[in-house]
Amino acid sequence: MQNPIMTASGTFGSGREYVPFVNLNKLGALVVKSITLNERSGNPCPRICETPSGILNSIGLQNRGIKRFVEEELPFLSSFDVPLVVNIAGESVTEYAQVCAQLEDVEGISGIELNISCPNVKKGGMLFGQDPKVAVEIVSECKATTEIPLIVKLTPNTADNVTIAREVENAGADAISLINTLLGMAIDTVTFKPMLGSMTGGLSGPAIRPVAVRMVWEVARAVNIPVIGMGGINNARDAIEFFLVGAQAVAIGTANFIDPSATLSIVDELDNFLNEKGFKSIKEIIGQVKT
Amino acid sequence: MVQKIHNTSAKVISNEQIAADIFRLKLYNGKIASACKPGQFVHIQCGEGRNFILRRPFSIHRKNGGGAFEILFQVVGKGTKALSNIKPRDELGLIGPIGNGFVIDGEARNILLISGGLGIAPLIFLIDELMSEQRRICVLMGAASKEKLLYAIDLKRLVRKLHMATDDGSQGHQGPIIDLLPETIEELDPERIYACGPEGMLKRIAEITGEHNIPTQVCLERRMACGIGACLSCVCKTRQEEKEVLKRVCIDGPVFRAEDVIWEV
Repeated sequence: MQNPIMTASGTFGSGREYVPFVNLNKLGALVVKSITLNERSGNPCPRICETPSGILNSIGLQNRGIKRFVEEELPFLSSFDVPLVVNIAGESVTEYAQVCAQLEDVEGISGIELNISCPNVKKGGMLFGQDPKVAVEIVSECKATTEIPLIVKLTPNTADNVTIAREVENAGADAISLINTLLGMAIDTVTFKPMLGSMTGGLSGPAIRPVAVRMVWEVARAVNIPVIGMGGINNARDAIEFFLVGAQAVAIGTANFIDPSATLSIVDELDNFLNEKGFKSIKEIIGQVKT
Repeated sequence: MVQKIHNTSAKVISNEQIAADIFRLKLYNGKIASACKPGQFVHIQCGEGRNFILRRPFSIHRKNGGGAFEILFQVVGKGTKALSNIKPRDELGLIGPIGNGFVIDGEARNILLISGGLGIAPLIFLIDELMSEQRRICVLMGAASKEKLLYAIDLKRLVRKLHMATDDGSQGHQGPIIDLLPETIEELDPERIYACGPEGMLKRIAEITGEHNIPTQVCLERRMACGIGACLSCVCKTRQEEKEVLKRVCIDGPVFRAEDVIWEV
C-alpha cells in the first residue's frame, strides 16, 4: 500500500460515484460495499439519521449479489491501480465460503474483508462476530476456499474482542479490522416513531471513536497479524490515535459524508505530519503510545 | 448521462426571512449557478463537520444572474436552524448540482404545476424555464396558511391560472390542494403535470393523473447521507418493466415519472 488510508466498507459504494471527487489511484486501498451471495434489496427507508456527533444507518446490505458484482463492478475497478478489498457478508457460515469461492479465480483482488457483524439467523440473530466458535468456523471455511488474504472485521457489540481476535488469528486470518458500527436506536419525538425504518441501526462517526481506539489498542496487543483501525476518523489527528495504539492502517467511512474527498485530504495531512515531525514513515509511530 | 457534480462552497449573498419559519437563501457559486437545472438540488453543510455529519439537500429554487442562485428552506430541525442564522459573506460547503431534473417537453404547451408546502421551491425554477416559450402554465398551490402561499402575488401575474388551498381556510379552498385537481383537469386538459410536495399528496396525484393518462413528473425527497449515489440511504421503490427496482433519489432522481413510483405512504 502506498499509504495507510483505506475506505470503510459501505460508505464508498464501489468507488464509481466518488471518481469526480477522489483520484482512486491515490488511495492506500479501496474497500467496497458488502457483497452477499444473492441480491439483497435492503431495509425500508428511512435508512439513515443524524445523532450527536454521529449517524445511525440501517441500509440492510443492499447489493446486487456476487455474480453481478464480478460482471459489472470488477471490470470498472480493475481499470484502477489501487489495491482492492472486497467486503463480503453472509446469512450463514456457508454463504461466506460460497462467495469466497466465486472470487477465488478473479484477478486483481488484494483481500477479502469478512463482515461478521451480520445476524446469524440460525442462532436467534446473534451476530456472527459475537460468537468465537462461529467466527472461527467462518474463517476456517473461507481459508479452505481461497488463497486471497482474509481480513476479519470485528464488531464492537461484544464483550470480548480479544478472545475472538486471538481465535480468528489461530484459524488463519491474515489481518483484523475493527470496529464495525455500534448497535443503536433513535426515536422521533414528534411522530413517536423510530427514526429508522427498521427500528435499530449501526452508529458510526466521531461519537464511537473512543470505543474504537480502545478496542484497537486491546486487540493489537493481543495478536501478531496486522490490525486495521476505524471508527470516527475525520482527519489525520484522529488517524494518528489509531496508529499510536497499534493500527497498521486505518479506514475512513462516515467522514466521506462530511466531505467526499476526506480520504485524500487525510493522506495529505498525514504526509505533512510525518514531514513536520521528521518521521520517515508511519511505521515509526505505530504502537508507540506511551502507557 | 451524469453531469459533473462539484464539491465546493458558496458565499452567502443574502438570507431573507420571507414567512414565519421560511427563509430564502441567495448563494454565489458560478459553476453551480450556470450548470443547474430545475429539479436539481444542492447538498449543504449546515455548519462545522463535527457538529453536522449529514448534509441537508435543498432543491434549487431560482437561478439569478451573475453566478447566484437561491434555495428556500423551512426551519424544522438542527440543520435548518443553523442555516437560519447565517449571514452575508459567510461561506457554506456544498455539493451540486445533483440529480436528473425535470424533463421539459419541447412540444407541450399546456402545463399544470402542483405544489404542497415548500414543494413550490423547485417549481418556481421550473416556471422560470417554462415561461421562455409560448406556454399556458397553470398552478395549483397548497399550504398550511395564507402566509405560506409563497409568491402568490407574482404567480397571479405570471401564469394563466392560479388556484390555491390552505389547511386553515385563510386563503382559497379550505383543505388539501389535491381536492381541486379533478375539476382542474376537466377545465384545463393539461398535457403535462409537474408536482412537488408531501409524498401523500404526490401519491394521490399519481392516482388521479394515471386515470387520465396525463404524463406526470414528481420530485421526491429523502434523508440523504453521501448525496452522490454511493451509500444507498435514499432509495425509493420503482416499477421497471414489471419488476421492482430500487432507485437512488439523489442521482437517479429526484424527479421520477409518477407512474413508475411504488408509493410507500
